[in-house]
Amino acid sequence: MKRILPFIIILVVLGLALGSAWYLTRTVPATPAVVGQPAPSTSPGSQASPAIEQPVVAGVPGAEPAHTLGPANAPVHIEEFGDFECPPCGLFHPILKEMEAEFGNQIQVTFREFPLVPTHQHALAAASAAEAAGLQNKFWEMHDLIYDRQQAWKTQFDVRGVFEGYAKELGLDVDRFNRDVGSDLVQQRIFQDGKRGHSLGVKGTPTVFMNGREVPFEQLPAEQFRVVIQKELAAKK
Amino acid sequence: MRKIYITSALLSLLGLADALYLTIEHLTGQTVRCTIVSGCSEVLASRYAVVGGFPLAGIGAAAYFTVFSLATLAVFGYRAAGTLLTPMLAAMFIVSLWLIYLQAFVIRQFCQYCLFSAAITSALLLVVVIGRFVLKPASV
Repeated sequence: MKRILPFIIILVVLGLALGSAWYLTRTVPATPAVVGQPAPSTSPGSQASPAIEQPVVAGVPGAEPAHTLGPANAPVHIEEFGDFECPPCGLFHPILKEMEAEFGNQIQVTFREFPLVPTHQHALAAASAAEAAGLQNKFWEMHDLIYDRQQAWKTQFDVRGVFEGYAKELGLDVDRFNRDVGSDLVQQRIFQDGKRGHSLGVKGTPTVFMNGREVPFEQLPAEQFRVVIQKELAAKK
Repeated sequence: MRKIYITSALLSLLGLADALYLTIEHLTGQTVRCTIVSGCSEVLASRYAVVGGFPLAGIGAAAYFTVFSLATLAVFGYRAAGTLLTPMLAAMFIVSLWLIYLQAFVIRQFCQYCLFSAAITSALLLVVVIGRFVLKPASV
Protein backbone atom coordinates (compact mmCIF):
# COMPACT_ATOMS: atom_id res chain seq x y z
CA MET A 1 0.00 0.00 0.00
CA LYS A 2 2.85 2.36 0.89
CA ARG A 3 4.31 1.99 -2.58
CA ILE A 4 1.12 3.00 -4.36
CA LEU A 5 0.09 5.73 -1.88
CA PRO A 6 2.20 8.50 -3.55
CA PHE A 7 0.60 7.67 -6.90
CA ILE A 8 -2.85 7.88 -5.33
CA ILE A 9 -1.97 11.31 -3.84
CA ILE A 10 -0.63 12.50 -7.21
CA LEU A 11 -3.74 11.31 -9.02
CA VAL A 12 -6.01 12.96 -6.44
CA VAL A 13 -4.17 16.31 -6.87
CA LEU A 14 -4.31 15.94 -10.65
CA GLY A 15 -8.03 15.22 -10.47
CA LEU A 16 -8.64 18.20 -8.19
CA ALA A 17 -6.61 20.50 -10.45
CA LEU A 18 -8.34 19.41 -13.64
CA GLY A 19 -11.75 19.35 -11.95
CA SER A 20 -11.41 22.86 -10.56
CA ALA A 21 -10.12 24.12 -13.92
CA TRP A 22 -13.09 22.53 -15.69
CA TYR A 23 -15.56 23.93 -13.13
CA LEU A 24 -14.14 27.47 -13.17
CA THR A 25 -14.01 27.55 -16.96
CA ARG A 26 -17.62 26.47 -17.12
CA THR A 27 -18.85 29.00 -14.55
CA VAL A 28 -17.64 32.01 -16.56
CA PRO A 29 -20.93 33.71 -17.45
CA ALA A 30 -22.02 32.67 -20.92
CA THR A 31 -24.78 35.25 -21.06
CA PRO A 32 -24.24 38.92 -20.34
CA ALA A 33 -25.52 40.44 -17.12
CA VAL A 34 -28.13 43.17 -17.47
CA VAL A 35 -26.84 46.51 -16.36
CA GLY A 36 -26.94 50.14 -17.29
CA GLN A 37 -29.19 52.12 -19.50
CA PRO A 38 -32.16 50.72 -21.36
CA ALA A 39 -32.10 50.09 -25.08
CA PRO A 40 -32.65 53.29 -27.03
CA SER A 41 -35.42 51.90 -29.22
CA THR A 42 -36.93 48.83 -27.66
CA SER A 43 -40.19 48.02 -29.34
CA PRO A 44 -42.93 46.60 -27.07
CA GLY A 45 -43.03 43.30 -28.88
CA SER A 46 -39.30 42.83 -29.20
CA GLN A 47 -37.82 39.44 -28.48
CA ALA A 48 -35.98 39.48 -25.18
CA SER A 49 -32.97 37.27 -24.53
CA PRO A 50 -33.01 35.26 -21.28
CA ALA A 51 -30.39 37.60 -19.76
CA ILE A 52 -32.97 40.39 -19.70
CA GLU A 53 -34.77 38.59 -16.88
CA GLN A 54 -31.84 39.41 -14.59
CA PRO A 55 -32.16 42.43 -12.30
CA VAL A 56 -31.34 45.73 -13.94
CA VAL A 57 -28.66 47.87 -12.29
CA ALA A 58 -29.02 51.48 -13.31
CA GLY A 59 -25.81 53.40 -13.78
CA VAL A 60 -25.30 57.09 -13.13
CA PRO A 61 -25.01 59.31 -16.21
CA GLY A 62 -21.61 59.83 -17.79
CA ALA A 63 -20.21 63.01 -19.32
CA GLU A 64 -22.75 64.94 -21.37
CA PRO A 65 -22.92 65.22 -24.27
CA ALA A 66 -21.44 61.77 -24.77
CA HIS A 67 -19.15 61.00 -27.69
CA THR A 68 -21.34 59.02 -30.05
CA LEU A 69 -21.21 57.77 -33.62
CA GLY A 70 -24.33 56.67 -35.48
CA PRO A 71 -27.98 57.61 -35.15
CA ALA A 72 -29.58 57.91 -31.71
CA ASN A 73 -32.48 55.72 -32.85
CA ALA A 74 -30.21 52.87 -33.98
CA PRO A 75 -31.56 49.52 -32.73
CA VAL A 76 -28.18 48.57 -31.24
CA HIS A 77 -26.41 50.89 -28.85
CA ILE A 78 -22.81 49.97 -28.06
CA GLU A 79 -21.14 51.71 -25.13
CA GLU A 80 -17.42 51.13 -24.68
CA PHE A 81 -15.43 51.96 -21.56
CA GLY A 82 -11.90 52.29 -22.83
CA ASP A 83 -8.37 53.21 -21.83
CA PHE A 84 -6.19 54.49 -24.65
CA GLU A 85 -3.06 52.81 -23.24
CA CYS A 86 -4.66 49.41 -22.69
CA PRO A 87 -3.44 46.87 -25.30
CA PRO A 88 -6.75 44.95 -25.55
CA CYS A 89 -8.54 48.30 -26.12
CA GLY A 90 -6.07 48.98 -28.93
CA LEU A 91 -6.92 45.57 -30.39
CA PHE A 92 -10.67 46.17 -30.01
CA HIS A 93 -10.48 49.56 -31.77
CA PRO A 94 -10.19 48.20 -35.36
CA ILE A 95 -12.88 45.61 -34.58
CA LEU A 96 -15.31 48.34 -33.59
CA LYS A 97 -14.39 50.34 -36.70
CA GLU A 98 -15.08 47.24 -38.78
CA MET A 99 -18.50 46.84 -37.15
CA GLU A 100 -19.30 50.52 -37.70
CA ALA A 101 -18.53 50.13 -41.41
CA GLU A 102 -20.44 46.86 -41.65
CA PHE A 103 -23.59 47.72 -39.72
CA GLY A 104 -23.76 51.45 -40.54
CA ASN A 105 -26.85 53.17 -39.18
CA GLN A 106 -27.99 50.05 -37.35
CA ILE A 107 -25.57 50.71 -34.51
CA GLN A 108 -24.72 53.69 -32.36
CA VAL A 109 -21.34 53.68 -30.63
CA THR A 110 -20.56 55.64 -27.47
CA PHE A 111 -17.06 55.96 -26.06
CA ARG A 112 -16.56 56.45 -22.31
CA GLU A 113 -13.23 57.37 -20.76
CA PHE A 114 -11.95 54.85 -18.24
CA PRO A 115 -8.21 55.56 -17.82
CA LEU A 116 -6.65 52.97 -15.53
CA VAL A 117 -4.44 55.05 -13.30
CA PRO A 118 -1.81 54.19 -12.07
CA THR A 119 -1.50 50.95 -14.08
CA HIS A 120 -1.12 53.00 -17.25
CA GLN A 121 1.04 56.07 -16.74
CA HIS A 122 -0.09 57.89 -19.90
CA ALA A 123 -3.75 56.85 -19.91
CA LEU A 124 -5.00 60.03 -18.26
CA ALA A 125 -2.94 62.23 -20.59
CA ALA A 126 -4.34 60.34 -23.58
CA ALA A 127 -7.92 60.65 -22.31
CA SER A 128 -7.35 64.38 -21.68
CA ALA A 129 -5.98 64.84 -25.20
CA ALA A 130 -9.00 63.11 -26.73
CA GLU A 131 -11.42 65.16 -24.61
CA ALA A 132 -9.57 68.40 -25.41
CA ALA A 133 -9.85 67.57 -29.12
CA GLY A 134 -13.52 66.89 -28.48
CA LEU A 135 -13.96 70.51 -27.37
CA GLN A 136 -12.95 71.44 -30.93
CA ASN A 137 -15.28 68.77 -32.37
CA LYS A 138 -12.45 66.40 -33.26
CA PHE A 139 -12.87 63.78 -30.55
CA TRP A 140 -13.22 60.77 -32.86
CA GLU A 141 -10.35 61.88 -35.07
CA MET A 142 -8.07 62.17 -32.04
CA HIS A 143 -9.50 58.93 -30.58
CA ASP A 144 -8.58 57.08 -33.77
CA LEU A 145 -5.10 58.61 -33.98
CA ILE A 146 -4.30 57.77 -30.36
CA TYR A 147 -5.45 54.17 -30.73
CA ASP A 148 -3.87 53.66 -34.16
CA ARG A 149 -0.50 54.85 -32.85
CA GLN A 150 -0.71 53.31 -29.38
CA GLN A 151 2.47 51.32 -29.82
CA ALA A 152 4.39 54.44 -30.83
CA TRP A 153 3.50 56.69 -27.88
CA LYS A 154 2.95 54.33 -24.96
CA THR A 155 6.68 53.76 -24.49
CA GLN A 156 7.53 57.47 -24.56
CA PHE A 157 8.63 59.15 -21.35
CA ASP A 158 6.63 62.34 -21.94
CA VAL A 159 3.62 62.10 -24.23
CA ARG A 160 2.40 65.70 -24.08
CA GLY A 161 4.46 66.66 -27.12
CA VAL A 162 3.22 63.61 -29.00
CA PHE A 163 -0.44 64.50 -28.47
CA GLU A 164 0.27 68.14 -29.28
CA GLY A 165 1.71 66.87 -32.57
CA TYR A 166 -1.51 64.93 -33.21
CA ALA A 167 -3.51 68.11 -32.49
CA LYS A 168 -1.45 69.98 -35.10
CA GLU A 169 -1.95 67.12 -37.54
CA LEU A 170 -5.71 67.35 -37.07
CA GLY A 171 -5.66 71.10 -37.65
CA LEU A 172 -6.72 72.00 -34.12
CA ASP A 173 -6.05 75.32 -32.44
CA VAL A 174 -2.99 74.06 -30.57
CA ASP A 175 -2.91 76.85 -27.97
CA ARG A 176 -6.49 76.15 -27.06
CA PHE A 177 -5.81 72.40 -27.11
CA ASN A 178 -2.94 72.83 -24.63
CA ARG A 179 -5.12 74.96 -22.36
CA ASP A 180 -8.03 72.52 -22.56
CA VAL A 181 -5.96 69.42 -21.79
CA GLY A 182 -5.52 70.50 -18.18
CA SER A 183 -8.87 72.25 -17.84
CA ASP A 184 -11.48 71.44 -15.23
CA LEU A 185 -14.01 70.79 -17.98
CA VAL A 186 -11.90 68.02 -19.51
CA GLN A 187 -11.05 66.48 -16.14
CA GLN A 188 -14.71 66.61 -15.11
CA ARG A 189 -15.76 64.77 -18.28
CA ILE A 190 -13.25 62.01 -17.58
CA PHE A 191 -14.38 61.87 -13.96
CA GLN A 192 -18.06 61.65 -14.96
CA ASP A 193 -17.40 58.81 -17.40
CA GLY A 194 -15.37 57.01 -14.74
CA LYS A 195 -18.18 57.49 -12.24
CA ARG A 196 -20.66 55.97 -14.67
CA GLY A 197 -18.29 53.06 -15.28
CA HIS A 198 -17.91 52.36 -11.57
CA SER A 199 -21.68 52.54 -11.09
CA LEU A 200 -22.05 49.86 -13.79
CA GLY A 201 -19.46 47.65 -12.15
CA VAL A 202 -16.75 48.25 -14.74
CA LYS A 203 -13.49 46.82 -13.40
CA GLY A 204 -11.32 46.80 -16.48
CA THR A 205 -11.05 47.79 -20.09
CA PRO A 206 -12.36 47.33 -22.64
CA THR A 207 -15.78 46.80 -21.12
CA VAL A 208 -18.56 46.92 -23.67
CA PHE A 209 -22.29 47.20 -23.11
CA MET A 210 -24.80 46.45 -25.80
CA ASN A 211 -28.25 47.87 -25.20
CA GLY A 212 -27.48 47.94 -21.51
CA ARG A 213 -26.11 44.40 -21.24
CA GLU A 214 -22.43 43.74 -20.74
CA VAL A 215 -20.87 41.81 -23.60
CA PRO A 216 -18.57 39.14 -22.12
CA PHE A 217 -14.92 39.92 -22.81
CA GLU A 218 -14.40 36.63 -24.65
CA GLN A 219 -17.08 37.69 -27.17
CA LEU A 220 -15.21 40.82 -28.25
CA PRO A 221 -13.10 39.27 -31.04
CA ALA A 222 -14.53 40.28 -34.44
CA GLU A 223 -16.22 36.98 -35.33
CA GLN A 224 -17.98 36.64 -31.99
CA PHE A 225 -18.81 40.32 -31.68
CA ARG A 226 -20.39 40.33 -35.15
CA VAL A 227 -22.64 37.44 -34.10
CA VAL A 228 -23.62 39.27 -30.89
CA ILE A 229 -24.62 42.35 -32.91
CA GLN A 230 -26.54 40.24 -35.43
CA LYS A 231 -28.42 38.47 -32.64
CA GLU A 232 -29.24 41.78 -30.99
CA LEU A 233 -30.48 43.19 -34.31
CA ALA A 234 -32.60 40.09 -34.86
CA ALA A 235 -34.06 40.46 -31.37
CA LYS A 236 -35.01 44.06 -32.10
CA LYS A 237 -36.92 43.23 -35.29
CA MET B 1 15.35 14.82 3.62
CA ARG B 2 11.74 13.82 4.17
CA LYS B 3 10.77 17.19 5.68
CA ILE B 4 12.42 18.96 2.77
CA TYR B 5 10.37 16.97 0.27
CA ILE B 6 7.14 17.50 2.22
CA THR B 7 7.82 21.25 2.28
CA SER B 8 8.57 21.15 -1.46
CA ALA B 9 5.33 19.30 -2.19
CA LEU B 10 3.30 21.85 -0.20
CA LEU B 11 5.05 24.82 -1.82
CA SER B 12 4.52 23.35 -5.28
CA LEU B 13 0.79 23.11 -4.55
CA LEU B 14 0.76 26.89 -3.99
CA GLY B 15 2.57 27.36 -7.29
CA LEU B 16 0.17 24.98 -9.00
CA ALA B 17 -2.86 26.89 -7.69
CA ASP B 18 -1.36 30.22 -8.85
CA ALA B 19 -0.45 28.92 -12.32
CA LEU B 20 -3.79 27.17 -12.69
CA TYR B 21 -5.65 30.35 -11.79
CA LEU B 22 -3.67 32.31 -14.39
CA THR B 23 -4.28 29.63 -17.01
CA ILE B 24 -8.03 29.74 -16.43
CA GLU B 25 -8.03 33.53 -16.50
CA HIS B 26 -6.02 33.45 -19.71
CA LEU B 27 -8.24 30.87 -21.40
CA THR B 28 -11.45 32.66 -20.45
CA GLY B 29 -10.03 36.04 -21.40
CA GLN B 30 -10.59 37.55 -17.97
CA THR B 31 -7.11 38.73 -17.08
CA VAL B 32 -6.29 39.88 -20.56
CA ARG B 33 -8.67 42.75 -19.91
CA CYS B 34 -6.81 45.71 -18.41
CA THR B 35 -7.60 46.36 -14.75
CA ILE B 36 -6.81 49.03 -12.20
CA VAL B 37 -4.91 46.78 -9.83
CA SER B 38 -2.40 44.99 -12.01
CA GLY B 39 -0.38 44.88 -15.18
CA CYS B 40 -1.37 41.27 -15.78
CA SER B 41 -3.24 42.25 -18.92
CA GLU B 42 -0.08 43.68 -20.46
CA VAL B 43 1.89 40.61 -19.44
CA LEU B 44 -0.73 38.07 -20.53
CA ALA B 45 -1.55 39.96 -23.72
CA SER B 46 2.11 40.07 -24.70
CA ARG B 47 3.55 37.69 -27.26
CA TYR B 48 5.64 36.10 -24.52
CA ALA B 49 2.54 34.73 -22.77
CA VAL B 50 2.05 31.98 -25.34
CA VAL B 51 4.66 29.36 -26.25
CA GLY B 52 3.98 27.14 -29.23
CA GLY B 53 0.28 27.86 -29.00
CA PHE B 54 0.07 26.99 -25.30
CA PRO B 55 -0.48 29.57 -22.54
CA LEU B 56 2.78 29.96 -20.61
CA ALA B 57 0.78 29.79 -17.38
CA GLY B 58 -0.46 26.33 -18.41
CA ILE B 59 3.11 25.18 -18.95
CA GLY B 60 3.91 26.59 -15.50
CA ALA B 61 1.02 24.62 -14.00
CA ALA B 62 2.36 21.45 -15.62
CA ALA B 63 5.83 22.22 -14.23
CA TYR B 64 4.49 22.71 -10.69
CA PHE B 65 2.50 19.49 -10.96
CA THR B 66 5.68 17.70 -12.02
CA VAL B 67 7.53 19.15 -9.01
CA PHE B 68 4.67 18.07 -6.73
CA SER B 69 4.77 14.56 -8.18
CA LEU B 70 8.56 14.27 -7.81
CA ALA B 71 8.51 15.63 -4.25
CA THR B 72 5.66 13.29 -3.26
CA LEU B 73 7.47 10.29 -4.73
CA ALA B 74 10.65 11.38 -2.94
CA VAL B 75 8.76 11.57 0.38
CA PHE B 76 7.88 7.90 -0.07
CA GLY B 77 11.47 6.90 -0.77
CA TYR B 78 11.74 7.07 -4.55
CA ARG B 79 15.33 8.35 -4.64
CA ALA B 80 15.42 9.01 -8.38
CA ALA B 81 12.53 11.45 -8.01
CA GLY B 82 14.45 13.39 -5.38
CA THR B 83 17.47 13.55 -7.66
CA LEU B 84 15.41 14.91 -10.55
CA LEU B 85 13.90 17.64 -8.36
CA THR B 86 17.01 19.86 -8.25
CA PRO B 87 17.62 20.19 -12.03
CA MET B 88 13.89 20.61 -12.60
CA LEU B 89 13.71 23.48 -10.10
CA ALA B 90 16.94 25.00 -11.44
CA ALA B 91 15.39 25.11 -14.92
CA MET B 92 12.19 26.65 -13.54
CA PHE B 93 14.25 29.23 -11.65
CA ILE B 94 16.13 30.26 -14.81
CA VAL B 95 12.83 30.60 -16.69
CA SER B 96 11.46 32.70 -13.81
CA LEU B 97 14.46 35.03 -14.00
CA TRP B 98 13.93 35.41 -17.74
CA LEU B 99 10.23 36.20 -17.21
CA ILE B 100 11.04 38.81 -14.57
CA TYR B 101 13.52 40.38 -16.98
CA LEU B 102 10.80 40.50 -19.67
CA GLN B 103 8.32 42.10 -17.28
CA ALA B 104 10.84 44.67 -16.02
CA PHE B 105 12.58 45.71 -19.22
CA VAL B 106 10.51 44.60 -22.21
CA ILE B 107 6.83 44.67 -21.22
CA ARG B 108 7.47 47.21 -18.43
CA GLN B 109 4.55 45.92 -16.38
CA PHE B 110 4.49 43.48 -13.52
CA CYS B 111 1.82 40.86 -12.96
CA GLN B 112 1.59 40.00 -9.27
CA TYR B 113 0.61 36.40 -9.99
CA CYS B 114 3.74 35.94 -12.11
CA LEU B 115 5.85 37.48 -9.33
CA PHE B 116 4.24 35.15 -6.80
CA SER B 117 5.10 32.21 -9.02
CA ALA B 118 8.72 33.38 -9.27
CA ALA B 119 8.85 33.68 -5.47
CA ILE B 120 7.49 30.13 -5.05
CA THR B 121 10.02 28.74 -7.54
CA SER B 122 12.85 30.55 -5.74
CA ALA B 123 11.66 29.26 -2.36
CA LEU B 124 11.42 25.71 -3.74
CA LEU B 125 14.93 25.82 -5.15
CA LEU B 126 16.27 27.29 -1.92
CA VAL B 127 14.60 24.61 0.20
CA VAL B 128 15.86 21.76 -1.98
CA VAL B 129 19.39 23.15 -2.34
CA ILE B 130 19.66 23.71 1.42
CA GLY B 131 18.31 20.24 2.05
CA ARG B 132 20.57 18.46 -0.41
CA PHE B 133 23.80 20.40 -0.24
CA VAL B 134 23.91 22.41 3.00
CA LEU B 135 22.20 20.31 5.63
CA LYS B 136 23.44 16.79 6.11
CA PRO B 137 20.70 14.31 5.15
CA ALA B 138 20.95 12.60 8.53
CA SER B 139 20.20 15.81 10.42
CA VAL B 140 17.12 16.77 8.36
